[in-house]
Amino acid sequence: MNVLTDRHRERLLGYALIAPVAMFLGALVAYPFLSAIYLSLTEKTVGYPAHFVGLRNYEALLESGRFRIVAWNSAAFTVGSIVVKLVIGMAMALALHNVVRGNQFIRGILLLPWVIPTVVIALTWKWLMDLFRGLINVALIDVGAVRSGVHWLGDPTLAMASVITANVWRGFPFFGVSFLAAMQTVPQELYDAAAVDGAGSWEKFWRITLPSIKGVVAVVTLLSTIVTLNDFNIVYIMTRGGPGAATHIFATYSYELGIMSQRWGLAMAASMASLPLVALLIVAVVRYLHREEE
Amino acid sequence: MRGATLARWAVLALILAIVFVPMYWIVATSFKTGRQILLSESVYVPRPFTVDNYVYLFEESRFALWIRNSAITAIASTLLSLAIGTAGAYSLTRLSFPGRRTFGAIVLITYLVPPGLMFIPLYRTFIGLGYTNSLGTLILAYPTFLVPFVTWLLMGFFRSIPRELEEAALVDGATRLQAMVRVVLPLAAPGLLAAGLFCFTLSWNEFLYALIFIADDSLKTLPVGLSEFVVSDFAFWGQLMAAAALASLPVIVVYIYLHKYMVQGLTAGAVKG
Repeated sequence: MNVLTDRHRERLLGYALIAPVAMFLGALVAYPFLSAIYLSLTEKTVGYPAHFVGLRNYEALLESGRFRIVAWNSAAFTVGSIVVKLVIGMAMALALHNVVRGNQFIRGILLLPWVIPTVVIALTWKWLMDLFRGLINVALIDVGAVRSGVHWLGDPTLAMASVITANVWRGFPFFGVSFLAAMQTVPQELYDAAAVDGAGSWEKFWRITLPSIKGVVAVVTLLSTIVTLNDFNIVYIMTRGGPGAATHIFATYSYELGIMSQRWGLAMAASMASLPLVALLIVAVVRYLHREEE
Repeated sequence: MRGATLARWAVLALILAIVFVPMYWIVATSFKTGRQILLSESVYVPRPFTVDNYVYLFEESRFALWIRNSAITAIASTLLSLAIGTAGAYSLTRLSFPGRRTFGAIVLITYLVPPGLMFIPLYRTFIGLGYTNSLGTLILAYPTFLVPFVTWLLMGFFRSIPRELEEAALVDGATRLQAMVRVVLPLAAPGLLAAGLFCFTLSWNEFLYALIFIADDSLKTLPVGLSEFVVSDFAFWGQLMAAAALASLPVIVVYIYLHKYMVQGLTAGAVKG
């Protein structure tokens, strides 16, 4: 006797197949995340059980000068990286757009920084920027631009620009290739019509190209903001957050609090500090992608 | 017109140079002797050049062990994520059940949560489970970002396969599961391969979780091994750059195959920057 209708079977199979995803993400994303929020409201000292302290960890963070520097640095690192990636990525896409011969090949080469391990990139830039033997200083001295090596990573004012440079190198090709893919879907007729109206290249860019690709620009910018705001690898490897706290950002700071100092309550609070902004950005991306789907 | 073309090629040449120089610096350094590096001799082109750095990696460092650990971790977490994610993606695109849209949204949201925000919470969870410091920890940790990624990517692939093919199999008496395994999965094979290779690349390159979750020297993965190559202020740049070149090689090979999928996936928002 068959008591299950086809619709019930389909439902059961649907749940059965999504169950592993749900259990996995529940156990290793949702649970850690929720318990982190709880732990950020507790204080744990070695040898004693954790006790509830309310928002005291967050207050302590907000009052600490170091955290304020970290928040400011994270904003500078993110905004700096993204603005430069947008500019170079757009230049790259415009330069490659309508290039027929070798387009695929050039694009392939340009995407390589995005593929190779970030650790390799961070180490390579650390070595490029080495005070005495790095290529940048040696070349600058050779052409006579400077008399002695520049402290790219040792000078507090330069260090942030230096880690941003490495991050931009890693990320701009992705921006460029995304913009290019979007530009290639813009109908040629629009440009032809604008040409008849006597529009120059500059006008075509502002009136046709940019409005047509703004969806892709928005998604790429949002995704990149989420990741950059919580970046760890580049800064950790190049400067460990230094000199002083000049390049210390959210993730390197929670690493310092949690892994190095074992102050878990504070570390959890620091981990969650960027959450409100990240949550807003995630909602924006989800809404954008869903709109594209429909 | 002439001027515009010239400007275009000038910009391209500049960008290519920006991308090329650091990669050249890796390769050039890897063929230099310790003396050349220390005294800044033959900076631009190593003359004479040596392969000693590469020999050193395999004979005197733990490089081979790191490769082994990275390979085990990357392959196991890729297979695990593919299995879980494929089933999930099929469920979310082909079967209708209450709550489907919610599950879809949850997958997308977890995909977007950055590791820089998750590493301490996840580390505490693994400590609570008493399961840190094992390659198994990483094999379980990587799917936290790989599973949402695979599911999201494959949902796109499954949508592109016409439903009629599956319905024909159902009419012929196949069960839903049979139709999935025999009709849909073979057609989605290129997508599965692409998803798998992406997962491999992401796992192979992963640094943060591997740095935090593993304490034992003999269990370190390649990126962590590389990052600890820098001993105090004096770094063995020749050996390190040789290691960097070799560490990049597998993902570059994978990328040559994956290139066209990447460009497709980018615009769909399936691949993050």
